[in-house]
Amino acid sequence: MSVVPVLELIDVSRRFGGLRAVDGVTLSLGRGISAIIGPNGAGKTTLFNLISGLLPPSAGRIQLHGQDITHLKAHARARLGMARTLQIKSVFPALSVYENVWIAARQRYRPLDPFGLWRRDRATAAEAEAALEEVGLTGCADMAAGSLSYGDVARLEIAMALAQRPSLLLLDEPVCGMSPAETEQAVALIRRIGERTDVVIIEHDMEVVFGLAERIVVLAQGRVLADGPPAAIAADPAVQEAYLGQGEDEEEAVHG
Amino acid sequence: MLANLATLALNGLAWGLIVALIALGLSIIFGLLDVINVAHGDLFMVGGVLAWTAVETTGSFAAALVVVPLLGMALGLATERFAIRPILRNPALTIVSTFGLSLILQEAVRATFGPAPRRLMAPLPGTLPVFGTNYEIYRLAAAVAAALALAAFFLFQQRTRFGTWMRAVRHDRETALTLGIPVARVQLLTFALGAALALLGGVIAAPITTVDFRAGVEILPACFMAVVIGGLGNLPGTAAAAVLLAVTEGVVSGLSDPTAARITSLCLMSAVLLLRPQGLFAGAAR
Amino acid sequence: MSVTAINRTLTAVLLAVLVAAPWVLPMFEAEFWLAITAEMLIWGLFAASANLLFGHVGLLSFGQALYFGFGMYGVAIGVDRFGLGFWPALGLGIAAAVAMAAVAGVFAVRLTWHYFAIITVVFSLIFYFLALRLKPLTGGDDGLSFAPPPVARFGDVTLSLGDETVQYLVILAFAVAAFAFQARLYASPLGRAFAAVRESERKAALLGIDVLKVRWIAFVIAGGLAGLAGALFAFYGRYASATYMYYVVSGEAVIWTIVGGTGTLLGPGIGAALLTLVREELSTVWEHYLLVVGAVVILTVVFAPRGIAGAWNAALARLPGVRS
Repeated sequence: MSVVPVLELIDVSRRFGGLRAVDGVTLSLGRGISAIIGPNGAGKTTLFNLISGLLPPSAGRIQLHGQDITHLKAHARARLGMARTLQIKSVFPALSVYENVWIAARQRYRPLDPFGLWRRDRATAAEAEAALEEVGLTGCADMAAGSLSYGDVARLEIAMALAQRPSLLLLDEPVCGMSPAETEQAVALIRRIGERTDVVIIEHDMEVVFGLAERIVVLAQGRVLADGPPAAIAADPAVQEAYLGQGEDEEEAVHG
Repeated sequence: MLANLATLALNGLAWGLIVALIALGLSIIFGLLDVINVAHGDLFMVGGVLAWTAVETTGSFAAALVVVPLLGMALGLATERFAIRPILRNPALTIVSTFGLSLILQEAVRATFGPAPRRLMAPLPGTLPVFGTNYEIYRLAAAVAAALALAAFFLFQQRTRFGTWMRAVRHDRETALTLGIPVARVQLLTFALGAALALLGGVIAAPITTVDFRAGVEILPACFMAVVIGGLGNLPGTAAAAVLLAVTEGVVSGLSDPTAARITSLCLMSAVLLLRPQGLFAGAAR
Repeated sequence: MSVTAINRTLTAVLLAVLVAAPWVLPMFEAEFWLAITAEMLIWGLFAASANLLFGHVGLLSFGQALYFGFGMYGVAIGVDRFGLGFWPALGLGIAAAVAMAAVAGVFAVRLTWHYFAIITVVFSLIFYFLALRLKPLTGGDDGLSFAPPPVARFGDVTLSLGDETVQYLVILAFAVAAFAFQARLYASPLGRAFAAVRESERKAALLGIDVLKVRWIAFVIAGGLAGLAGALFAFYGRYASATYMYYVVSGEAVIWTIVGGTGTLLGPGIGAALLTLVREELSTVWEHYLLVVGAVVILTVVFAPRGIAGAWNAALARLPGVRS
């Protein structure tokens, strides 16, 4: 019995002028928590942009649950059950935290209804409140999203993604800029989410990656360098050479 | 008929070079500050009015040619400082504040100079035989003057340190800042320079058109067309587009009428805006 | 008390004053203010169309005069050439504006920021010049005058725009309906989608919002509002003219909106009313009142970028015992 992969990339490339940011990537992703790692400039975020539809690929095909989504725009992919957070955290700053999550939750049911009153939509309200509860932001519901701390904005973004009820969740550096305590909470949250949703994360923090992921894909110079369970990746000399050594330098540079 | 068309084309060339000068100012202000200066046409108009005033009081057109752009520079500095700089982070608001400036300039001119259009005598009277018709010498001189000013600007940009800074800021503000280029000062002086170019254009154009407080509103669309069709941030393209548009409009209005010519170039402009993908579509710009 | 509750009360008071105006103003021998108030309502409606795009969806349009002009000409041509009555002519004006916005919107909403502002101006200029050229149809610069048909007949009673009170009440009814419609729109799920697109189009798209579609819907509704304003203005002035399609008129809508308060419901109306007032009052004292208008515009964007309504709300929220 063959299982249709959640997400399948077939020989996907993206060029910017002469630069091959993503170069012939073929990859099946899904089932549990996977991580994409790689040195800076390896093409990780570009790959996320191709998957989520913010960028069209120069070549190749992308399938979600066996359906070709190569030519679908970002909003259409979101409606097929794909949610994504951005590396530079992005919310609707002038709207309240609650409105942010409400908008995310409402997109699955007559999103452009001009006649209803949004405040009276109890079903969506319940979903939005549940998502806020899950990330622990219930207390900030009435604050403007733009006034939140950086860590809280990251949590709000995750809450918005959850409110979309995605079948595939893409998290771009979810713990970037968080304090150690916040990171610990976020890791626990992602692990919980991973129990019911397929998650792909891009992350620089190796402790987080190896603590969470069941499978790790290593990108270097736009290509897949290695792909396997954490233990195999940690032991792979090519990966150590291309990435891990440099990664530790980076860590030192950040903390030093 | 042919001679007539040649005259129209020549008129278009002279006018196009003047428009190019003004459009260049519009383009550098947009390129370096992200500001759409809606008052740019009115700066041109003020240039004409000041030229008229200078000639009335001193009797010297040459004096106007020197002094008026300097006044434009001062006006530009003050405008950037008080009406642009505080809201530079919000491009939409800068459009509105330049609209306010436009109202002020028009009304100030109407109050002092008066609502009636006036004519400025050509400083170089007489005609030359060109293509079998007699062509006004001053129009040719105006074309040459505008072309010289354009050339001087490009030289300034290529050869001076400030010019290099301008190109760097236009290309990438963040990088320019990290390279230690005083971005804010470059922007301030760019706005002043843009204003000076508009006023200079106004001086050069004054003897071949009427000096009128509404002149700015009339010329602004032509300048925008040149900037858009030439490519935003593409200065030689802007200059070329200005000349091309003016010559085309000149010839088309000869064959049909000026309004038809205007409509033709506006349609061309929409097509360019919608079809040229380089940085024009929101998605492709990122 | 909350800011919302205070503003609701004030809106109710304002509405009562506006409805009572035809009977109150004569007591102070100030009947001529009725016509000025009617004009304020129309310009407020026109400004609201710019506000819908800029304040709610984040698109700065400098071309709303195009749809205002279509509303005007729809009415004028409908009455003058086709002999239509009040209601069909009004419908024609609004339909013409909406249709034009539906077509122009397909192209315009693909662009953002500066490019959107420029393309909206370009579209409006094309039709401005066309209107100048098609003199037999539009009257060009001189415009097209017509005698307004009666609004309604009830037996022997004819409601005619010639009666100042009837004209005022008709305009007021449409303005109130249009603002109520907007209030409802902004409180709907579509209104939230507008806000999402305004705040971050990229994030909105990732949440599943079809950004181009949302923008297009807003563009068409804004075109309809401008068209309604234009149609009413045609009836009010009994004529239509190409001069109202020039980009400077579009710019005024933006200015009124920003001075009054972008993104608020009544801000555009407040801005339009204030500047109409300045024009009416100051222009009698000082011919060059536009200098003041220009200065007010610059001072507002520099020092109070959220406009009068925004400053008002902020001031209210600072009062003791008021929740924001």
